[in-house]
Amino acid sequence: MSSNNPFDATSAFSGGGFMPSQRQPSRFADSTPSPSKGRDSQGLIPVTVKQISEASQSGDEKSNFTINGVDVTNVTVVGMLFDKKVRSFNDIRFHLDDGTGRIECIRWVTENSETRQMDEIDDGTYVRLNGHLQSFQGKRQLVAFSVRPVTNFDEVTFHYIDCIYLHLYNAKLLTQCQGGALTQPQLIESLSNTPVHTTSNGYQTPSFNNFTVDVSPDGLKGFDKLVLNYLQQPSNIEREMGVHLKEISQQLKSPIEKIKDAIEFLEKEGLVYSSIDDYHYKAVEGC
Amino acid sequence: MDTSNPAAFVNGGLLRMHLGRKVRAVIQVIRSDVGSVIGKSTDDSQIIVKGSPPIPPTNYVEVIGVAETDNSIRAEIWTNFGDTFDMSSYDQLCQLANGEFKHLFL
Repeated sequence: MSSNNPFDATSAFSGGGFMPSQRQPSRFADSTPSPSKGRDSQGLIPVTVKQISEASQSGDEKSNFTINGVDVTNVTVVGMLFDKKVRSFNDIRFHLDDGTGRIECIRWVTENSETRQMDEIDDGTYVRLNGHLQSFQGKRQLVAFSVRPVTNFDEVTFHYIDCIYLHLYNAKLLTQCQGGALTQPQLIESLSNTPVHTTSNGYQTPSFNNFTVDVSPDGLKGFDKLVLNYLQQPSNIEREMGVHLKEISQQLKSPIEKIKDAIEFLEKEGLVYSSIDDYHYKAVEGC
Repeated sequence: MDTSNPAAFVNGGLLRMHLGRKVRAVIQVIRSDVGSVIGKSTDDSQIIVKGSPPIPPTNYVEVIGVAETDNSIRAEIWTNFGDTFDMSSYDQLCQLANGEFKHLFL
């Protein structure tokens, strides 16, 4: 059966959660980078309830939650809805159980369409919930801004894989920044080149490219990225004179013209600069 | 918030690790009776699920309940997962959720 319905990794990883990279469009252009930057901004993060329960909060109730060193404000969860109570026409309370834990949720409805959406969801329904994580009177709760029933149950599998993926991604980011290595753009790039896919249940996942406009309209292309990665290797960063075009050409086994094109593009983007002459280039430093 | 009673993702092979505890599994229904379903787990072993299955069940059903033996589950919650479902991805998720990334789940 499964061969009829393969789990498409490309579409799987293009949807659901917003990656930190989306929230930091100006990473490359930023002239004063710091390791903590890019991990302190907001997005929609796929999480399990267990992760929410273990999120740390730095200060009082108003302070931010942190999961994996990343500030978390808005999250996306998938689970079963229970104990639904309509407290008033616009105030609906329920619990969401995702199998790792149970969390209280509130849905303030303001429009008829939202009321209808909540009307059709009963106890025991699988839902995808996007909402704001907050602490109220010592209890963690989600203030939902979207609750919709799951119709394609591969979304359940996908959500947890998405949680694992983002966890891994953030853990890597954290290690690399702490280690001072400059390989972050590789990770960012592999994400930002993800194509837009329409999933089988018909809703379109957001394109990362919308968020990288001030880097370039279509992000870094594969080869440009290879050249940049090579220049960003710590050993090459340390070289005062920079790296000769010929060397890049030999290392990447590509014609020098192709290297020149890539360099020209990267230079325009402010990612590399010529050092002692027009043949030697260095990557702009930054994490 | 309550994380005291999680349901572990299981396939046929992982069931024995969670005997007496809450588990969740997706099974492909082979035969459905009034009080039980015989089905195939995501790793292709045969599982008996006791309880009250949905009428009618779809090809794929998710059950949440207690692991009774290494091939049976007493289910409390049944959800029809439809007639197509990617079993191999779910099976890999079971393995990840019981292995390297267990701390995100249990």
